[in-house]
Amino acid sequence: MLSSFINRFATEDAGPSVHIAPAQLFEFKGISITNSMFFAWVCSTLIIILLVIVAKRMKLRPKGGVTQFIEIGTDFITGVLENGLGDREKALKYAPYFVSIFFFIAFSNILGLLPGVGEALTFKGAPVFRAFTADLNGTLAASVIAMIMIQTFAVKESGFIKHLRHYFAGKLWNPLTYLVGLYEVFNELVRIFSLALRLFLNVAIGEIIISVFSYLGKFAAPLTSFPFIFLELGVALLQAYIFVMLSVTYLSLAVTHGHDEADSLESTAKEMGI
Amino acid sequence: MLSIIAELTGNVEVVGKGLMLGIGMLGPGIGIGLIGNAFMNAVGRNPEASKFLGQILVFVAIVELMALLVFASLFIIK
Repeated sequence: MLSSFINRFATEDAGPSVHIAPAQLFEFKGISITNSMFFAWVCSTLIIILLVIVAKRMKLRPKGGVTQFIEIGTDFITGVLENGLGDREKALKYAPYFVSIFFFIAFSNILGLLPGVGEALTFKGAPVFRAFTADLNGTLAASVIAMIMIQTFAVKESGFIKHLRHYFAGKLWNPLTYLVGLYEVFNELVRIFSLALRLFLNVAIGEIIISVFSYLGKFAAPLTSFPFIFLELGVALLQAYIFVMLSVTYLSLAVTHGHDEADSLESTAKEMGI
Repeated sequence: MLSIIAELTGNVEVVGKGLMLGIGMLGPGIGIGLIGNAFMNAVGRNPEASKFLGQILVFVAIVELMALLVFASLFIIK
């Protein structure tokens, strides 16, 4: 009994279906349209429709249902922004982008767990749907857009020269300033990849774990994969929250210039009432 | 020891993957344990510290990335 289980891992005759890269559905003028792109279009259409309906039903005293959940999510992300930036007005200014990226990632993760997504529906041998966040191209695009938005917000907030001085802080005749500045710029590029890889690996490995356990279960596949689907529901929301939380942290780091100024020590001392 | 490993034949790939998973998951496991330890200590001393659970999850996600990289390499290496 046990040896058959071990053999199933050891010999790779017909293991669980594990895909790390998306499959191409069809080609449109030389651009290959993959199943994750198709899923992203479906997902974003659904989100736009849902959010427009919810925005029309918005009231001072919501009756409940879907509207309430969307409002809770929006309020939650606004709270995260308020904590990160330390200002309600600024939080409301930047909320539209961060709330929409939160809902996009959360919906894409949760809809990716639906039964129709994956091997069930196929088109010319390739599965029709694949979760958008289970594709490195998708998450890389999301994190590149997040970084561009963060830089744009920071430049708008403090001006281009002052934003550059945020990286190249210090005396300009000092060569160390440029070295540290280059390191800071490189750090921003690394953040793009760490954001993208974290989201992609969490979602893709969740799918792999579900497929491995439904393969091991054989006839009892629904039973063995059920707990992991619940686990993935939690991970889906958590990863959306972490993506937004980290981008808000990067934004707040880029916007605040406290450590650039020489009198920062005095101002903190004044705040503390010393 | 190394000469014994060098003379192994058969499905050595599985041994390598198992070693990679086992050793690679050690670090992140210890790391997440330390984070949880520090958090529970802080909450034990000052119950108001429990409001930082969200930030703890962010740090867990940062450490978790290393474990996920190990797990993903399982499917990438040949």
